[in-house]
Amino acid sequence: MCMALEVSHVVGGYSQIPVLKDISFDVKDGELVGLIGLNGAGKSTTINHIIGLLTPHKGTITLNGVTIQQDSQAYKQQIAYIPETPVLYQELTLREHLEVTMMAYDLDHDQAWKTAHKLLKTFRLDNKLDWFPANFSKGMKQKVMIVCAFLTQAKLFIIDEPFLGLDPLAVNDLLQLIEDRKRKGASILMSTHVLDTAQRYCDRFVLLHNGQVKTEGTLSELQAALPEAGESLNDIYLSMTKVDRA
Amino acid sequence: MTALFKTRLQRHLREMAKYLRLVFNDFFVFALLFLLGGLGYGYSNMLKTLKAGYWWAPVVALLVLVIVAQIGRLATLIEDADRVFLLPKERAMHAYLVAARRYSQGLAQAMQIVAVFLLAPFMSVTMHWTVLSLVALGVAQIVLKDALLRLDLASAYQVTGQTRMNHWAIKWGVSLIVLAAGLWTLPWVAIILALVLDVAVAGWFAQHWQKQQIRWREQIKIEDNRMLGIYRFFNMFTEVPMLSGTIKRRRYLDGLYRLIKPSHDHLYLYLFSRGMVRGSEFSGLVVRLTVIGMLLLYFVRGEWLPVVLAALFIYLIGFQLLPFFQQYDDVVFTHVYPVLPAQRLKSFVTLVTLILGVAAGLLWLVVVVANPHVVTAGVTLLVEVVEVWYLARIYTPQRLTRSAENRG
Repeated sequence: MCMALEVSHVVGGYSQIPVLKDISFDVKDGELVGLIGLNGAGKSTTINHIIGLLTPHKGTITLNGVTIQQDSQAYKQQIAYIPETPVLYQELTLREHLEVTMMAYDLDHDQAWKTAHKLLKTFRLDNKLDWFPANFSKGMKQKVMIVCAFLTQAKLFIIDEPFLGLDPLAVNDLLQLIEDRKRKGASILMSTHVLDTAQRYCDRFVLLHNGQVKTEGTLSELQAALPEAGESLNDIYLSMTKVDRA
Repeated sequence: MTALFKTRLQRHLREMAKYLRLVFNDFFVFALLFLLGGLGYGYSNMLKTLKAGYWWAPVVALLVLVIVAQIGRLATLIEDADRVFLLPKERAMHAYLVAARRYSQGLAQAMQIVAVFLLAPFMSVTMHWTVLSLVALGVAQIVLKDALLRLDLASAYQVTGQTRMNHWAIKWGVSLIVLAAGLWTLPWVAIILALVLDVAVAGWFAQHWQKQQIRWREQIKIEDNRMLGIYRFFNMFTEVPMLSGTIKRRRYLDGLYRLIKPSHDHLYLYLFSRGMVRGSEFSGLVVRLTVIGMLLLYFVRGEWLPVVLAALFIYLIGFQLLPFFQQYDDVVFTHVYPVLPAQRLKSFVTLVTLILGVAAGLLWLVVVVANPHVVTAGVTLLVEVVEVWYLARIYTPQRLTRSAENRG
């Protein structure tokens, strides 16, 4: 199987003091990888490095053979990002947000709008096209982020904690979308604290702790590595953090 | 609670002092002295031409006093978080609000005294008012302002159900009645009327506030607007970080954007144009400067002065636009979108060229209308074209590239 995203020996952070201490993992084509860790474990820092907001002190991040240093345009073209806190342009309407996304990723206008209308209907936003999403509730803003991201034909979706604030129907729809894109060969890296959902949907897990990859693998691999921890991802996760606290 | 207001007031005054120091720099004080001197001189000259007995003299005095009476709002210094953290202390907030009113009173009443003082020579010339009557009028004005601020305080509570005691019609109406009575009969009448009003509102409020809720959201909004006004004023002289401006849909301008073809290269032009038009921060600045420039150019005559002034205003506008380039730096997608920074800069240069071009055109039109010289009009046009070209196409990209490099 082909590696879509390859994070290799990355040391990095916001300042000279590294938050990430030599992190390596990968996401393969058509795979959903869950990035799991406590608050402050380094999930968001990892994501910020992958989307190019931060430059690693050491190590490389490759996306289908391209690094951001080689060709930032080609690298970024492959990524769609859904931030944890919705980020919107204050002065743009929902329609304009979608158009900006289409322009940014150079999508075919008619084709993209067809996809957009379908997505808008799914997330019940189709009658709000001329509103400012900046005034929406948190859950609705998040839906706008989801619609914008899934409008693109990105090869890698980076989704930062998508489940908090979404209504159950939207969570279900989002999981459907992810499943759909996976089948089409896209990779997804998702950070979350909602472990039972992650356990059900993720193919593999990367467990971050204190800026390091504690363990990595499928659920059965994790169970095998920590046999006394318990069955569920939740138990494994808790036991992993307990070791550190003791 | 009074202590809380005191700490907030101290912080507020420190902040205001910081900005006032920036506003009243040497240059501005110098200009202000000239302006005040000029105005004072003009006022005294005008007084010499006036005689007693004009029918309109008391009307002018009434208008000035009524308008001045509205100046000075209730400064509560309430913050957004208060409606969560201070909600359990709602009853105790009364002491806080009373302290806030006491503070607001000082500044507002000082303004009233200054206004009456400035109006005094006019009234003594045209209406033959004695010093004693003028002092009495000053007292009436102060008591009236006290009553108006009490109305504001009462409206912070839901004491009158859905209606507000400080509705503008009430405030203006009351001021008109009280002051008209004072000006056309005796100032003592105004004092008595204002006192009756003040005591009545105070008494009524004292009986009712304990059973009522504070209009938290409304008060927070009012205070935010008040601070926004202050920041806007300071923003004309210096940069105010708290000022993010308001956003309006301005649907009637949607036609403008149709000129921009939605394509990959135009992404930032698409974004910048909408941000510029719908956000009030920068568009307000551009409009203000253009209008001031046009007014000034209309009244200024001469061969070279219009050229210099037009050039100066274009420079001012162009310079103020620069920070707009960083408007979307906080939006993560600015960095995530597969769009080269060079495209963003190119779009910005186009935007600046457009805005400066329109402003320059308007300024030039006024120069042509105001000055019959063909040479002046021609030179102005030439200077403007060169300046807009240089500012937008050469200076802006150079400067922005350099500041981007400095930031790393």
